[in-house]
Amino acid sequence: MPRAPYVEPLVSVSRGSTRQNRTGSWKYIRPLYRDAVAPCNRACPAGVDIEGYMNLLREGRLDDALDLLLRENPMPAITGRVCHHPCEVGCNRREYDQAVTVHSVERALGDESLSRPHPAPPPRLHSERVAIVGAGPAGLACAYHLARLGYGVTVYDEAAEAGGLLRQGIPGYRLPREVLDRQIERIASMGVDIRTGVRLAGEKAQAELEGYDAVFYATGAHKGKPMRVEGEDGPGIVAGLEFLKAVNRGERPEIGRRVAIIGGGNTAMDCARTALRFGAEPVVVYRRTRDEMPAIPQEVDEALREGVEFVFLAAPSGFRWEDGRLVEMHVTRMELGEPDDSGRRRPVPIDDDGYTIPVDTVLTAIGEDTELEALPWSLPEKWGSIIVDDFGLAGAERVFAGGDVAGEERTVADALGSGKRAAMGIDRLFRGGDDGGRPAEVTDLRWGGDGQVSMSRWRGDDPVRRTNPTNQVVDIEGLQLAHFRREPSHQERHRHDAVDFSEVNLGIDMEQAIAEARRCFNCGVCNDCELCLILCPDVAIVRREGGGFEVDLDHCKGCGVCAEECPRGAIIMTREGL
Amino acid sequence: MKKVIVGNHAVSLGVKLARVEVVSAYPITPQTQVVEMLSEMCASGELAARFIKVESEHSAMAACCGASAAGTRTFTASSSQGLALMHEMLHWAGNGRHPVVMANINRAMGPGWNVWTDQNDSLSQRDTGWIQLYCETNQEVLDTTIQAFKLAEAVDLPVMVILDAFYLSHTSEPVEIPDQDLVDEFLPRREARLKLDTSDPRSFGSLVRPEDYMEMRWDQQQAMTTALRMYEEIDADWKILTGRRWGAIEPYRMDDAELVLVTSGTVTSTAREVIDQRREDGEMIGLLKVKMFRPFPSAAIRRALRGVDRVAVLDRNVSPGHSGIFAEEIRAALYDVPPDDRPWLHGYVLGLGGRDVTPATIEEIIERAWAVDTPPREDLWVGLKT
Repeated sequence: MPRAPYVEPLVSVSRGSTRQNRTGSWKYIRPLYRDAVAPCNRACPAGVDIEGYMNLLREGRLDDALDLLLRENPMPAITGRVCHHPCEVGCNRREYDQAVTVHSVERALGDESLSRPHPAPPPRLHSERVAIVGAGPAGLACAYHLARLGYGVTVYDEAAEAGGLLRQGIPGYRLPREVLDRQIERIASMGVDIRTGVRLAGEKAQAELEGYDAVFYATGAHKGKPMRVEGEDGPGIVAGLEFLKAVNRGERPEIGRRVAIIGGGNTAMDCARTALRFGAEPVVVYRRTRDEMPAIPQEVDEALREGVEFVFLAAPSGFRWEDGRLVEMHVTRMELGEPDDSGRRRPVPIDDDGYTIPVDTVLTAIGEDTELEALPWSLPEKWGSIIVDDFGLAGAERVFAGGDVAGEERTVADALGSGKRAAMGIDRLFRGGDDGGRPAEVTDLRWGGDGQVSMSRWRGDDPVRRTNPTNQVVDIEGLQLAHFRREPSHQERHRHDAVDFSEVNLGIDMEQAIAEARRCFNCGVCNDCELCLILCPDVAIVRREGGGFEVDLDHCKGCGVCAEECPRGAIIMTREGL
Repeated sequence: MKKVIVGNHAVSLGVKLARVEVVSAYPITPQTQVVEMLSEMCASGELAARFIKVESEHSAMAACCGASAAGTRTFTASSSQGLALMHEMLHWAGNGRHPVVMANINRAMGPGWNVWTDQNDSLSQRDTGWIQLYCETNQEVLDTTIQAFKLAEAVDLPVMVILDAFYLSHTSEPVEIPDQDLVDEFLPRREARLKLDTSDPRSFGSLVRPEDYMEMRWDQQQAMTTALRMYEEIDADWKILTGRRWGAIEPYRMDDAELVLVTSGTVTSTAREVIDQRREDGEMIGLLKVKMFRPFPSAAIRRALRGVDRVAVLDRNVSPGHSGIFAEEIRAALYDVPPDDRPWLHGYVLGLGGRDVTPATIEEIIERAWAVDTPPREDLWVGLKT
């Protein structure tokens, strides 16, 4: 080298880092990490922490994901199969590419839990005993949550086997009996005493229930609604639910070849697809159009694929018998008028426009009514449903109610949510509600303030939302979508080789479930993606012991890059000094 | 291997052979092809480099400074208004001693909006602390690009490799492409003397008080002085490997020359033709090509021109209100020559905004240089429309 030993250029390099310059004093707004609520959680009628278990499953923490799911939902293997999954309608990802297929992930987790040995029963912490009338989803959910809270529980059901509508109403090709049996077994193994074949009504009920400290009523709704059409009590016209119950008892009712199903809900789909499996040619007659059908869209798809026929904008208006046998149904054409209270356009008959359909059997599936006259107490009701408060308390002391008998939304998920809510109400009745810091306001228990109640919140041990938890729901506007790759959802496999009573939907495997969980945006909740750490121009984001991040306020200049770029809206900017 | 390629691709291939690690650039005519080819190389994996997309030349150079400070071999390319937009960051690279290499395609500054060649864009950046190397042919472009990294990293100064718009950038010439092994031997991986280290965070380029600032500029000045000598060594090494050397300056047919033309860039090639012709006719005439403009090879130029009767400096540039910029620098360099040996200096401004410089233009200059008996007080503008 021509120059004396050249070591390094003379440039200005600080002796230490710039950390001695406390630029934090420049800011007037500061970032705040907060764990908010994803819209799926708020939408779930069972109050499941969907975002939370997706977050854990994404990391491959299967045990933790299962624990979180099972603390809110006693029967994920069932809801993963039969729930109408409003979570997926709420999913922000739906507006980006495709919603996360929550139900299929839930099913994979549920099946995983059932493949394991039943856990040890929870410890009995309290002396109080609770009676539950009705071993359907609501009753079983209430029993499950009460057992986990440390209470003694006895469940009564008049049917020979527990399960309620899950067993009596839902066909095996949708919900295999072994899944149902194993799921109920798992609840029974927690120390819940299930007594079947016991009908509790009137004075007998009072005597039997007197020995308990509280009662939860969940007897369901079983009586098919009338169509208000002349002759509907005649031969060949059967309530769809009664038909399904008979089939699910192992009977094979005589329905003939031409079967018309009246209605557009899941019971209608179950009736049609069951009739099809007996070799009939079912026709679904619905007074609105496909868009207004309350059935789960995938069920309608499957029915169509299997060959069920649909007649839309038609309602039955008369029947004709020959020699005591039903031969014809007359239908009136309908058109859609103004929207009704449900927001769906009201069907209006077109006068003098109708035609006849040849039928052997008509199955009615337009909804079910409750039978409150069997109740041992007179409870306030409205349109056949028991009125309950925010904790499921019915009009009498220590009497709670839930499920279809006390619900407006008659779904499995709503039943599970009502059972959980009543378990909290019963716990509050005994423990005053402030035991272990239980939230006093029900809105604090509800996801997003108006969703279903959360057991994590009741117990105060949410393992996912630990940083400044807020009940604010993060919608798609609150996300930074630029950071997500478009990726289609993982679709379930369906068995199409034969139309019989073995399960049609084969679900997804655990590997796909984890991949699907990775599609979850984790709306509103930090999932340690590190983007804030990487993008902070002032290196003012630091890892927090035990997970997550915090802001080094001595150096944060309040630029807001972290909040702007957080993909999931888990950082907001707040004013200084507030 | 010999290939017929445009000057822009000679740059790209030189950058690839240099195993550059980071490229950040913003497109501008006539430079675009340079980075287009590099981005394709990065995308295909042919070049294991990170291509940082940016929204402006200012950001491109900022990214280059950061990447270079992190210890990587870093490249960018620009032209004209783009280079002007980089101005602040050019100082940052120069004073921060980041050995970034840039190709600048000489393009006239607007307005009048113009994409053709002259040297005002790069010469406007004279004092930013960049080494400037002007090229005459596409072979020289490729060789100089590779040399530039070696030089930059040897003295921790940024280097601008400069070529004429279109005459080189978009004109195809046969170019010998050296083997990668050969380039690897000539230019090993960069060993940065000072680099960012996230485990020992420090601030580069922070506040310096008056009692320390001047020493940094002195150190930079020393590095420039070193670069003068260092380039000759590097060039000599290159010759051993390839048989080619270019020189900070190149005297051409100057033996006993009474009139010497001083040129840079592609005007040199045109002048060579005219000089060859006139030499054959017995005229005592020669040529001095200036490749290196910063550091300015004053001593070498003095030695080359001492005792020559007349020197005509051809400037494809002008410092408005003064003169052609090379003429001005050479005038200053010659001041140290004793008056008896000091040549008369004639400055000629020509070819601005891409106006063609033909053999006839050179002939006219030579005729005018011979015709005048006293040195002109002002530069003469050649080829102006009357």
